[in-house]
Amino acid sequence: MGKIAVLPRTVADQIAAGEVVERPASVVKELVENALDAGASAVTVELEEGGRGLVRVSDDGTGMDRDDTVLAVERHATSKIHSAAELVGVATYGFRGEALSAIASVSKFEMETANGTDGTKVTVTGGRLERVEPVARQRGTTVEVRQIFYNTPARRKFLRSQRSETRAASEALTVLALARLDVHFKLVSDGRVLLDAPRASNVADRIALLFGAVTATGLIPVDGVSGGITVRGFIQRPAEARPAGRKAYLFVNGRPFRDHFLVRAAEAGYRSTIHPGGRPTLFLSIGIPGDAVDVNVHPAKLEVRFRDRMLVERAIEDAVRGALGGGEAAAEFRGERGNEGTGERSLVPLFARSFDSGAQLDSLFDQRSTGASSPAAAPWHGPTAILQVLSTYLLFETPEGIAIVDQHSAHERVLYERTMAQLSGPGAPSQRLLLPLTLDLSPPELEVIETHGDLLNAAGFEVEPFGGRSVVVHAVPNPHPRFDAKRCLEEMVADFARGRFGGWHNRLERFAATYACRAAIKAGQTLGTDEMRDLLARLFACDLPPHDVHGRPTIVQLPRDELERRFGRA
Amino acid sequence: MKFTITRERLHDGLAAVSPTVPAKTTLPVLANILVEAGSDGLRLSGTDLDIAVSTLVPADVDAPGAVTLPAKKLVEIVRELPSAAVRITGAGEQRINLECGRSKFKLLGIAKEEFPNFPPVKFDKAWSVTSADLLKLVNHVSFAASTEESRPILNGVLWELRGEKMRMVATNGHRLAKMDVPASGAKESADLIVPPKALEQIRRLFGAADMIEIAKSENHLGFRTGDTRVFTRLIEGPYPNYEQVIPRENDKVATIDKEALSSALRRVGVVASDQTHRVRLAFSSGTLRFAVSTPDLGEAQDEIAVSYDGEPLEIGFNANYLLEVLKYMPTDEVKFSFKAPERAATIEPAGWDDPAAYLCLVMPLRLVD
Repeated sequence: MGKIAVLPRTVADQIAAGEVVERPASVVKELVENALDAGASAVTVELEEGGRGLVRVSDDGTGMDRDDTVLAVERHATSKIHSAAELVGVATYGFRGEALSAIASVSKFEMETANGTDGTKVTVTGGRLERVEPVARQRGTTVEVRQIFYNTPARRKFLRSQRSETRAASEALTVLALARLDVHFKLVSDGRVLLDAPRASNVADRIALLFGAVTATGLIPVDGVSGGITVRGFIQRPAEARPAGRKAYLFVNGRPFRDHFLVRAAEAGYRSTIHPGGRPTLFLSIGIPGDAVDVNVHPAKLEVRFRDRMLVERAIEDAVRGALGGGEAAAEFRGERGNEGTGERSLVPLFARSFDSGAQLDSLFDQRSTGASSPAAAPWHGPTAILQVLSTYLLFETPEGIAIVDQHSAHERVLYERTMAQLSGPGAPSQRLLLPLTLDLSPPELEVIETHGDLLNAAGFEVEPFGGRSVVVHAVPNPHPRFDAKRCLEEMVADFARGRFGGWHNRLERFAATYACRAAIKAGQTLGTDEMRDLLARLFACDLPPHDVHGRPTIVQLPRDELERRFGRA
Repeated sequence: MKFTITRERLHDGLAAVSPTVPAKTTLPVLANILVEAGSDGLRLSGTDLDIAVSTLVPADVDAPGAVTLPAKKLVEIVRELPSAAVRITGAGEQRINLECGRSKFKLLGIAKEEFPNFPPVKFDKAWSVTSADLLKLVNHVSFAASTEESRPILNGVLWELRGEKMRMVATNGHRLAKMDVPASGAKESADLIVPPKALEQIRRLFGAADMIEIAKSENHLGFRTGDTRVFTRLIEGPYPNYEQVIPRENDKVATIDKEALSSALRRVGVVASDQTHRVRLAFSSGTLRFAVSTPDLGEAQDEIAVSYDGEPLEIGFNANYLLEVLKYMPTDEVKFSFKAPERAATIEPAGWDDPAAYLCLVMPLRLVD
């Protein structure tokens, strides 16, 4: 006895604060979420010294009356839920009733609030309620947090540089700004405006504002539904994905969260369209019934738990893959002046709370309403005339403008998909040779023949050792009339031996990509009209026509609005 | 230069030469026809540097001379001229005046010095073959030559001269055609690899009744009959050892009606893959079954009666290769011989009453499943 004592409330609060309030950015996040839950249409965040000196969040939300204001700074006091049952499918950002009391316990805290009739100001210092006094102000709430961690020096020591804390706070606000287009967000740091995002009608505009027009124009819309899960948003064109500097934002029912595995699922959707190691930027919003997700698993609600995670991963992968197959995913020709913004095009509103499924993006060149052209275009039945340019590019008219296809990349995509099907199916048709080919190989190349013998055979190459360093080829595939089997096999074996195409996780995929690259029609090969038509038909029948297997585009579009702009018709 | 010629003779002469003129060329003079007026008439020549054709047509030559004239324009003009005497006069500086009735043309040519020299093939050591024999070989074999650039040797037709017989062989590595004919006039043994384009010109220009004189220089071959000559570059050998791949022990033999086989292949071939044209043939006692299955398209089955009493056997082929071979088979029935699904099959005419020996070979496609 006497060893165990109930901790004083202030100590308990400080411990709780350790979970919720890590740094000024967490204060920003919690307070802005409160503002949004209070129905604010404009939120202003002011920082001094990166938030160490002051975090002030003002909103024009509903405000509170005097009694609620006093209660609000108590632990586990909330207006957002009233019973455990309401935890299921909770729609507000907050609900734990911890944030205000936790913040107030580690700072010098003031809150002014008015609900239109009543104005109240509370002052709390280190968790101790100092004063409650009436105040005159407009409807809304302003919270001032000064000298955070003044009473917990250990935590204060862990704060980073002022610049780093400012960046973190800005990031916290950015995430929320992506989720809520209908709110005007403003961030001021030491008197300097870092962010001013007025209400936006579509996410593309807000992305352009937050990340710059270059990022925004490199995105393609995602809109997928599977198993009752909707996945909408924007993802980066594969050709623009880089190994570093990507941004990944995930939202579930409008709530931002982090989930490495769902990002992986999205990347899986990119499979074969980006260079292994490329990390695409993602803005994905998942719509899922409230009872299928538990948001109450993390004190700062950074993580959520799905009832059926596999289903969500599948939905994301499918949606991303579906989006990459669309014509939107084709690279677009933009001049140096073309990156001014995306406002012209009415892209599908991202993260809309109510989904109107007006946009169909599943087929290439499906009508996409641009600002200038009429959306009621007749269905398109493929190109009428195809022009081969520089013996490498196929150029043709589309309802949108002009499309240019790289014949080698396009054929690579066609062969890759067919080879994948053949490798996992009964195998490719193979022509026996009257005059077998003999190849002289180096020891590493011979080893490639040994290790990939089964795949070579499935792809249609019948290769046998022929003594010494030679192999003899008895049968070859015939992927197109101009196929040079000997050259293809020699180049493939050399690629494998040199470790080119090494980054693919899956052995089949790596083989198929290598084969597709080497077997495809080369650049510089003059093609007949029928061959060009056939190649395009096969390309458009692929799952992912706009991308080759190296992460390069197969199609570049020169849209009508760009033509009009260049000729001064806009 | 000054000569008069009937419109018909000029037209026929141009028709013999102009198909050799290349449609596209980087050397402008190759788009022209060399026109030489001499004491023996008017000689017209055209070339694409691989093949050259030259023919002599009767004309009344007042003053000899030579110039090259644009082939396409000259042919078009002569085609539209009235049937009357055509008078062509040199007007200096590679210009000519052409008059026919009341029509008058001035044409600008290129100096004859720019026209490439013809290959130095001397006909004094020539040997002769009957045109009928040569054309029979060409007609049955040259289709099988390759059109791919990867193995240039297969782009040619091998022509073997062996004293009392001649043989032609062509293959693209997937199918092969071979024919022997007895030859009377052949002089010495030679292995010549000839571009099919040249054989096509011979087929076009020489009638079946002609005797053809043939002469060889180091790299070229010349064909001559009457006033028309064809020269061609030879492809450098050696030709692959084809004898070794022609199967000797194909012990399963079916005798099949050619028309029934062709029409069944055409029917089921409709749903075969555009790339491989793969058709499955299943031989069993008295019947041949056809099956095609293309994953994205559909399936087809067919059946015909054949004379076959070997073990049942299934074998896959590119239907187009079979159809092509059947097109050249001279008899109503064909003898189809094979041994195993991965071995070469041969097709020969059945009951052909001819001194020639004809054999075609088709390599199978792998059957999967």
